[in-house]
Amino acid sequence: MTEDVNLNGGQPLVEMSHLAVTFYTPRGTVRAIRDASLRIERGEVVGLVGESGCGKSTAALALMGYLPGTTKVEGSLLFEGQEINEMSPAELRKLWGKRIAMVYQDPATALNPTMRVGPQIDELLQHHLQLSKSEAQQKTIELFTSVKLADPDTIGNRYPHQMSGGQQQRAVIAMALACEPDLLIMDEPTTGLDVTTEATILDLVVDLKDRFKAGILYVSHNLGVIARVADRVVVMYAGQTIEEAPVRDLFKAPRHPYTAGLLSCVPAPVSTENSAVQLSSIPGSVFPASLPTEEACLFAPRCPMAQERCRTEVPAVFDAGGDHSARCFFWGDVRPGIWGTDELRQEGERGEVEPVLTATSLRKRYGHWERKYLFFGPWVRPPVRALTGVDFAVGSGRTLGIVGESGSGKTTAARVVVGLVPSDGGQLTLQDEEMPSAVQDRSRSQRAAVRMVFQNPKASLNPKLPIRHAILRALRKFAGLNRRESLERARELMEAVGLGPELLDRPPTELSGGQQQRVALAGAFAANPELVVLDEAVSALDVSVQAQVLNLLDRHQDETGTSHIFISHDLGVVRYVSDDILVLYAGHVAESGPAESVLNSPSHPYTEALLSAAPVPDPDAPPTHIRLPGAVPTMRERFQGCFFAGRCPRKLDGDICDTTPPPVRTGPRSSKHVIHCHIPLEELTALQRNGTST
Amino acid sequence: MLRYIIRRLGLIIVTLAVISLAIFAIVEILPGDVAKMMLKQNATEESLDRLREQLGLYRPWYERYFDWVWGVLRGDWGTSYVTGIPISEILGRRVVHSLALALFALVFGIPLAVLAGIWAGIRPDRLADRIMSMVGMVGISMPEFVTGVIFMLVLASKFELLPPTSMMLPGETPWTRPQILVLPALTLTVVLFAYIMRMTRASVIEVMQSAYVRTATLKGIPMHQVVRRHVLPNAMLPTITIIAANMGYMLGGLIIVENVFAYPGLGQMLLFSIQQRDFPLLESLVLLIAGTYAISNLLADLSYAALDPRIRVS
Ligand code: SF4
Ligand code: SF4
Repeated sequence: MTEDVNLNGGQPLVEMSHLAVTFYTPRGTVRAIRDASLRIERGEVVGLVGESGCGKSTAALALMGYLPGTTKVEGSLLFEGQEINEMSPAELRKLWGKRIAMVYQDPATALNPTMRVGPQIDELLQHHLQLSKSEAQQKTIELFTSVKLADPDTIGNRYPHQMSGGQQQRAVIAMALACEPDLLIMDEPTTGLDVTTEATILDLVVDLKDRFKAGILYVSHNLGVIARVADRVVVMYAGQTIEEAPVRDLFKAPRHPYTAGLLSCVPAPVSTENSAVQLSSIPGSVFPASLPTEEACLFAPRCPMAQERCRTEVPAVFDAGGDHSARCFFWGDVRPGIWGTDELRQEGERGEVEPVLTATSLRKRYGHWERKYLFFGPWVRPPVRALTGVDFAVGSGRTLGIVGESGSGKTTAARVVVGLVPSDGGQLTLQDEEMPSAVQDRSRSQRAAVRMVFQNPKASLNPKLPIRHAILRALRKFAGLNRRESLERARELMEAVGLGPELLDRPPTELSGGQQQRVALAGAFAANPELVVLDEAVSALDVSVQAQVLNLLDRHQDETGTSHIFISHDLGVVRYVSDDILVLYAGHVAESGPAESVLNSPSHPYTEALLSAAPVPDPDAPPTHIRLPGAVPTMRERFQGCFFAGRCPRKLDGDICDTTPPPVRTGPRSSKHVIHCHIPLEELTALQRNGTST
Repeated sequence: MLRYIIRRLGLIIVTLAVISLAIFAIVEILPGDVAKMMLKQNATEESLDRLREQLGLYRPWYERYFDWVWGVLRGDWGTSYVTGIPISEILGRRVVHSLALALFALVFGIPLAVLAGIWAGIRPDRLADRIMSMVGMVGISMPEFVTGVIFMLVLASKFELLPPTSMMLPGETPWTRPQILVLPALTLTVVLFAYIMRMTRASVIEVMQSAYVRTATLKGIPMHQVVRRHVLPNAMLPTITIIAANMGYMLGGLIIVENVFAYPGLGQMLLFSIQQRDFPLLESLVLLIAGTYAISNLLADLSYAALDPRIRVS
């Protein structure tokens, strides 16, 4: 191969300079990329980060030469010195799959559902390497082995829907590696996967980087992921590349205010620093309307360092020394403190509080037993058990965080509390009064007392009506206010969630995602609830906006004393907001208790694995080793012993874990801290101390 | 899979039982004394009474219902009130006629429509697609009897290429004079074509924009391979359902078209039996049509399952 020759001298693998991409759509012109430059060398992983709409995915597709026909592309995009923008479809097709390959965001949709997975890779090998069918099949098995898929000989016979998300993504990676491409583009390859699966895929990427000489462009919005895999990082904002640096330099000493802001917006899942410091947030959002159109720095409206010059002149890319560059006039003045991080959070007293809501042995099953032949035959297909006797309590003015992988039952728990799905057993007590499980059986005041906010704010907003309707309806229904009073209160609520009251008359479509979620919050607050259930309510938001919403929740809680149930797959966020944490696995409580106790040793082996998997936005974070392969078992199975036995990395020798349900142990620091595991706490502590230090 | 088929067959039996009961009930409720109608003016109280006795009209309804069902199961569908000929005999011939017409339309119409839909969908908004979409719009917006009459006027009256009606002389079958099939089949095909073509086009367009077709394209394999292996199998899935859903529509169309062209099939017979209050005949016809509909839906679901591994292997 010729890579070695090119490695030191000569041209880089990819050189993108001053790329600009404009889409012409029926709904108008979109400048997806304004000015992007980056370079990828062989054998390195370049991380491309930015928030949604910054142009990073378009940049990835431009590199593939795969943009719709009605797109205007300016600037140059060289792949081994050849201009990609000038290639014909036939020339591109020779590169695709063979020299440049791509791994996509959602592996479930990236694979053809009607074709077995093996042949989907075979066809690529047969075409590019002119292999015979059996040679291709052989090679596919080798590829499956190299991406560490279990059962490489037979897994190719499966259809995509017969594989877990992690297996699907490995298959897609195997496909991308098939012809040993020179350039591998990975576009958010772990977004949408569980943290546990994400960690195993990231391990694979790190491993690939050492084995293959390809250059990798890794696109992600997640700084923790980038810190883990990238050698160099390029940050994009509003269609511009604004900073480029080796990964350590970027995380330790960012030279652009935006990068510095992003870094201080992310709550870390595990850290020794105290979480009492408030998250800083970047005001505003990258909504096209707010971008300056005249000659100016595009970040100026949100920048804390902006000066007169920034609003009249376009900053060039400045060299900050040591392969570090930033698009900012004042790059030398960027310090950690520019976003004002030192504000302390108002901490409520840590003492005992009365619970607002208590749930006792909640049970929920979906579906029912079915017979094999409609009315005859043996009973098959047991119902899905989503919750099996789950207990928890939410303290007054406190936040209970619920964590677990998908399929753990956390969303069902939320829905049962709100009454969206009635439980099959157990009891809900709201302020010493029993609360019926179905929402239609609850009294008006109970319905007003428990409100929910969903991941997708559009679910609760009618796209055709001005947003005022959503808020006014809640006010009239639950707060019993008349027309004038409710309009007055709606304005207050809008201000409470940091929105201008003039937005009340706009339809939701004119609001950004973050603004819509604030409106949804205002709608929930309108009923003066005792308890707000937030189901992945900040998960779809960009980190900068997410921090704003988290702080808003925090402040609202301090002011009104509402309690929250906060559900998220992001341990960092849960850790930041929660006073108590409930860890669910396959409908069972693995561990619950005060946040500090749960997140510190001793913890349940499942909690430990979740913590170990969570990506940390720090390239120097000590590597973690505990990985959970596979996925949460389908909850049709019955567990003889411990619910976690099938995947537990700390499973005990002998068969006690398989045969006997684990006992409930109480933690050393708090009687409220419970762990369901056979391993005695002292042993867990000892194991985990060793585990993290190796 | 076997389990699935058995379940589905069970459901069909239940459906047919419900339908048969419903038809029976409706016919019972319909006004009009059968015996009076059959004997017309020369009815005396005595002869009416005898006929009612003979027809079993004095027995309780459930006895008659189970007699009827039991007869249907044994192949004895009863006797037509009006003509006095055993129903199985009348229907036997008519079923063949209608099937001939339907098959003619299906065999030409569906492949043509699917091919046209694919052609239009792969490169949407090109000239070919525009023409196809227009043909589809016209085909859908015109009712069968208008299309049929237009064909009749142009092809039969003006150019005299084909016979304007499809009446059959005694002893004739569709095979002895196949040209009588052409006009009704063409009319039926136009409507079928429009529906299926538009559906195919829509699902091809949707699949072309899917992530897995992008994956396939970015493998660098030739475009025809992408279409054949990745677009078509997925685009055909919804199309099959639409074809099956159209079976009911097609049966309705059949009734209209047969009457427009005086073609002696089931549809014409259905109208006849309603006009003449020939209840045993009507009951049998409705049951037959319902059965056809249920079975074609089952076939569609099975072929869907055969094509879609998410159902086949789960
Ligand atoms: S150029 Fe000015 S506005 Fe832009 S990032 Fe630098 S300091 Fe902020
Ligand atoms: S009881 Fe056994 S299987 Fe369950 S968590 Fe503890 S060690 Fe693991």
